[in-house]
Amino acid sequence: MYIVVVGGGKVGSFLARDLLNAGHEVFIVESDPKRAREAIDSFGSITLRGDGTEPSILAATGVRRADILIATTGSDEDNLAVCQLAKHRFKVGRTISFINNPENETLFNVLGVDVTVKRTQMLLAAIEEEIPARSRVHVLPVRGDREAVEVDIPPQAAVVGKSLGEVTLPPHTTVVAIIGRDGTMKALADDTVIDMHDAVVALTSAEHGEALLEALTAEG
Amino acid sequence: MKVLVMGCGRIGAQVAETLWRGGHDVCMIDSEEENFLLLPKGMRDQEGSTFVGDGTLDADLVEAGIREADVFVAVAVRDNRNAFAAQKAKYVFRVPQVVCRVGDPVRQEMYSQLGLDAVSPTKVTAGLILEAVML
Repeated sequence: MYIVVVGGGKVGSFLARDLLNAGHEVFIVESDPKRAREAIDSFGSITLRGDGTEPSILAATGVRRADILIATTGSDEDNLAVCQLAKHRFKVGRTISFINNPENETLFNVLGVDVTVKRTQMLLAAIEEEIPARSRVHVLPVRGDREAVEVDIPPQAAVVGKSLGEVTLPPHTTVVAIIGRDGTMKALADDTVIDMHDAVVALTSAEHGEALLEALTAEG
Repeated sequence: MKVLVMGCGRIGAQVAETLWRGGHDVCMIDSEEENFLLLPKGMRDQEGSTFVGDGTLDADLVEAGIREADVFVAVAVRDNRNAFAAQKAKYVFRVPQVVCRVGDPVRQEMYSQLGLDAVSPTKVTAGLILEAVML
């Protein structure tokens, strides 16, 4: 896929590197001279120094053929403007924005930005990925305060050997996939048995994340 | 009418002063207190007619009275800031009438198509100049 990343600071650079490693075609725009120079040093010709909220600059990135635009600047005003230009003027199918101030999430969602990622969510995800004992990993934030999480079922958990129908999940929580230790997807049915080290992927709300973790990992 | 104006530059000050002289309840919000010197002294001295703060932050907008506002005018320098504040006023705080200044004609056109009352001083000025040079 072709992905344009506006904002080549820490978030934008790390993201661009991950996307490149995953085999995507990436283009980065950064307006700050120092950060732009660093990005050019790391990424070369796929970097442009300029104001990505300026329609002519955005056009020069080839955004018209982009599948996804990701706004990662430190300014929510600029991130919103970039996403709106991408969506409405350049007809980019999917816009994703990093949100600096969590209070602005509603506005981004109301105005049709497809996915928003808050700084706090990223920190939480980073911390949880570093602590395997917690067994929970944020897979991705979903619209509103929902999130998809992946829970690795510990061997001593009470749910091991139980069927999905027997497990009580917190409200507003739906199991969307169970992946066995060997990587195979299990069918989702009430009689599906949960084994140790199954990865249970569920949609839940931020407030019920802890309860979900408790339900799936508590010892019997 | 209660009018909240964001951005005390020349345009903002002129808009605010005119509305204030017309008897409206006007509050100017700007992050730099010294910018209020562009307003007439009588208005500056009036309680609640100025507010030092950031017109894109919920807390500052609420304190400046956005929940009671009938009109919100975003006329700061940066286009993105104006469009952001105006859309917040319209879609989050449900202010009945929202007008914003967007200098870039491309962005102004886009925001107009999205239903925002956006005015481009660039387009207006260029139009007036063209009118003046047409012989």
